[in-house]
Amino acid sequence: MSFGAISWPTIGIALSAGAILLLRDWRLTVSALFLNYIFIVFFLTQQQFIQPDVTLLGLPISMTVLVKLITGIAATAILAITALTFSREYNLEDLDEFSLSELRRAARRAQRQRAGDLLNLGDYVVPFWVLVLAALASLVLPRLYPIGRSYTVDFAWYWLGLTGLFTLITASDLLKIGLGLLLCASSIDLLYTALASRVQLFPVALLSLVTIVLALVVAYLSGLLYGRLKTLDLGELYQGR
Amino acid sequence: MSYILLMLFPAVMGASCFILRKQTRLVIIAAVLTMLVQIGLLIPLPTGEPARMLGLTLSLDPLSRLFLLAFLSVAALSFIASWRLPHGENFVPVTMLILSFTGTTLLLLQEPFMVALLLISAGLLAVLAIVDLPTGSPLLVGRATIATALKYMVLMVIAGVMMYLAFVLLDVAQPGQTLDRVSPAHLTLGLVAVGFGLRLATVPFHSWLPDLAEDAAPMVSVIVVTVLNVTSLLFLTNTLQFHPELVFENARGFAILRGFGIATALLGAILALSQTNMRRVLGYLIVYDAGMMLFGIASLSPMGLAGALFQAFNQIIVVMLLFLCVGLLERPDGRPSNVQRRDLLRRWPVAGTGLLAGGLALLGLPPFNGFASKLLLYEAAAQQGSVSLALLLLSTGLALLALMRVARDRLLGPSDDQPIAETPLLVGATDLDRPAERRLEPEPRGMAIMVSVLLALCLGIGLYPQPLLATINEVIRGLTFVRSF
Repeated sequence: MSFGAISWPTIGIALSAGAILLLRDWRLTVSALFLNYIFIVFFLTQQQFIQPDVTLLGLPISMTVLVKLITGIAATAILAITALTFSREYNLEDLDEFSLSELRRAARRAQRQRAGDLLNLGDYVVPFWVLVLAALASLVLPRLYPIGRSYTVDFAWYWLGLTGLFTLITASDLLKIGLGLLLCASSIDLLYTALASRVQLFPVALLSLVTIVLALVVAYLSGLLYGRLKTLDLGELYQGR
Repeated sequence: MSYILLMLFPAVMGASCFILRKQTRLVIIAAVLTMLVQIGLLIPLPTGEPARMLGLTLSLDPLSRLFLLAFLSVAALSFIASWRLPHGENFVPVTMLILSFTGTTLLLLQEPFMVALLLISAGLLAVLAIVDLPTGSPLLVGRATIATALKYMVLMVIAGVMMYLAFVLLDVAQPGQTLDRVSPAHLTLGLVAVGFGLRLATVPFHSWLPDLAEDAAPMVSVIVVTVLNVTSLLFLTNTLQFHPELVFENARGFAILRGFGIATALLGAILALSQTNMRRVLGYLIVYDAGMMLFGIASLSPMGLAGALFQAFNQIIVVMLLFLCVGLLERPDGRPSNVQRRDLLRRWPVAGTGLLAGGLALLGLPPFNGFASKLLLYEAAAQQGSVSLALLLLSTGLALLALMRVARDRLLGPSDDQPIAETPLLVGATDLDRPAERRLEPEPRGMAIMVSVLLALCLGIGLYPQPLLATINEVIRGLTFVRSF
């Protein structure tokens, strides 16, 4: 177990998960999530415990890895499409006058907020130091509490879990909370695949299904929140609570 | 075949109900019939005969059958209640899917990885029910409701992640092994405690439950608290049964868990006492009850475990009764909506009585069903020491005060309907100038009958708990971790 064993997919996992924790723009974070899934797939194909069992387009590939690839693409696509087409428009003809005026007020408030939303480096200070903390913990924990088959496996799942958790803590909008939860799900997925004494198809398939359902629920809630407040900002959601 | 039907039939019917969801009454009838078919399928099913399917072990034990019957009955009642009470457009299909997942969970209790994931999925489905609005609603989803749904989603996913991590560790760890300084058994118990603590709403992970009680539709709260939380409790018992190393290597860990149980009961009761909103009071009383059950399980004694499981069964009936009554008491009654009503017992006598009696049953006061189960929990506490017993009794006393406060503030106040003195018609006025007479509707008869049936059930089980207790005791006799401790 040494730092020398860290491969390029591991570096890719580290950078993409770090980008999700640090950055705020959904275009960058959702792209980073997609890259994260791709790097996890490459990471798994390099592991000895994953053996190719099907051939796809002439390439031998493991079914487990294929399931994870499809899951990653599906989850990212759901979030990206949601972000591109935000708003779950209410049936305006059903709403009463009070609800319509509430929607108009929310739209004005969100517009004012967007106008004053300039790049503020202060917003990145806490996520940056949290990222440093997660990096230190992920480097140290595999040595203190080794659980996986190798240092890199331990580093990868600790890193995914910690960045996911810290993304949840520092998130300022709903979509980012969803990304944090998906990182946590990736962490246990990787741990199960790498560690379980007998990797069964059903738990792997169900975990993939849970990931997709989680992405769908996050997309649904994001759409609902955007339709209601015209923003995904959590500060706006918790105002007056 | 019966197992497959138990797992898939509600899901298929749920999908059909989703397509027909705009036709509310048709969907409710279909859902109730589905539940009756499920009950009919479940009753003759033999227990203790495991079956293998696609590499998974399916098995139905007597306790799972008892609880699944209770879940299906409560779901049927909640569908009937949604005929008159406001509910979301997708409440019925989502609940049917949740029941499909719950049935699968109870059949797959020996497959912890699958169960942890099924519980996350069921929690995610519940999120959709929380933010749901009635068909054609002229209102927007409240901010508070979205915030509650978001909180529930995040906490349930974290709970699932913790449980899954714990099971991976249990899968790879050897008994007696240590990871340098930390025994895997300690680490795993910590993860299990956090995972189940989040799901059962024990302190300090309780905050989602009062929010849910306040912001979600009453029947959604019923399904989450009775079906999902109680399934988690059964899963916890099963986890201890299939992983006895968690018990053997964690005597101190379980003492800490008992402490958390007492703290949950105490804090739940204190916070219930400090609330003014009736729904939040109920939410905190359920937190108090979760603390009592956690204490019972963590006591690892036959009495504590029997008390916890019996109380979980009672909670299913009582929570249904309480939220049904809250739904009825909150119906518009012809009086201005901006005035807090203090005479709800006079205005809606059946629902008011149901709320009071349900509250007493939840606290375990005789002659209701909670009495026998709470008595077992107190006996288990007495075995642990007089301090535990005193603290649990204190928490029950505080919870009773909270209930009495609700009764004083909302139920037993003087009537708001004072007779108005007949004023003579002034010169030039006609009968049309008189203020319109208020038309106060009576309680919906069907709902009143349902409340009465649930009340009778609470009384019946309270007066004659032996058959249920015998089933629970028989199951507990087979639990190795209880005997061996």
